[in-house]
Amino acid sequence: MLAQQYRAFKSELDAHGIVFSFSGYLSEGILYSLGDALRQKMALEDTDVTTIKKVFSVFVEQSQNIIRYSAEKVQGNLGKSVELSSGMVTIGSENGRFFIVCGNIILEQDMEKLRGRLETLRGMDRDAIKAYYKEQLREPPDEGSRGATIGLIEIARRASAPIEFDFDRIDADRHFFCLKVSI
Amino acid sequence: MENLIIAASERSPEVNFDVAAGILQIRGESYPEDASSVFGPIFAALQDFLGQGNGTPLRVDFELIYFNSSSAKALMNMFQMLENASGCAIVVNWQFMADDETMKEFGEDFSEDLSHITFNLVSVS
Repeated sequence: MLAQQYRAFKSELDAHGIVFSFSGYLSEGILYSLGDALRQKMALEDTDVTTIKKVFSVFVEQSQNIIRYSAEKVQGNLGKSVELSSGMVTIGSENGRFFIVCGNIILEQDMEKLRGRLETLRGMDRDAIKAYYKEQLREPPDEGSRGATIGLIEIARRASAPIEFDFDRIDADRHFFCLKVSI
Repeated sequence: MENLIIAASERSPEVNFDVAAGILQIRGESYPEDASSVFGPIFAALQDFLGQGNGTPLRVDFELIYFNSSSAKALMNMFQMLENASGCAIVVNWQFMADDETMKEFGEDFSEDLSHITFNLVSVS
């Protein structure tokens, strides 16, 4: 029963073309290890350098967005200050392209601003995204954003198709946010 | 002032600033969550160097493989700081692997609007 249950779970992931999927509390250390395995896997499959870089870059930006902005965090002191943020990061391939999906909980109050930023990016073509990136690179950082704007532009810039995103309401204060990027 | 020597870590580059020679080398990858942990010490050393006012030319060699968006922002700040410095000649060598479009494009993005510093895009194979 146990093996059957988890085999079904794994088969479901395999059927979606998922290379790996992480769900739970993310840290910078986990990001590093997953990222390293991801690059090795792609290199072993003779993926070209530019694609490996794009996938890795989107993976890092999405993971760091979860680490920074997930509304589901645990913090404390274990000899040093530790902050873990909950979310999920999934990498897969479909129709010959890699995709990266991240998901995490965000607060109602942050949702409209995020939606606005993503809609702006989705409405831009490649040249407009590049120009926007260069403009934001030269801007002082937004108050309290810890670099969110430039990170989302970097993600959109590496995408080969318009980014997809969605919000699923959990309750009055929270949404589950999802962003899918195809390379 | 003293040389700045920082070993690479999993998510931060190797830094070697030979003050007497006026050569700063930054090599590897940079994707810490907090870019100021990597770039803060480099900024401070550059400010000291440029503030010496003895006219020693400065050469900055970049051999970066990958950096995240907050590191990109810090790099842009560094180039703006160098652009606004006066009193010594500054050359930046931006090295990238010939098949690496991403790093080449970053070099091109950074070098736009820089007129006081010499910015060389160096392709290696």
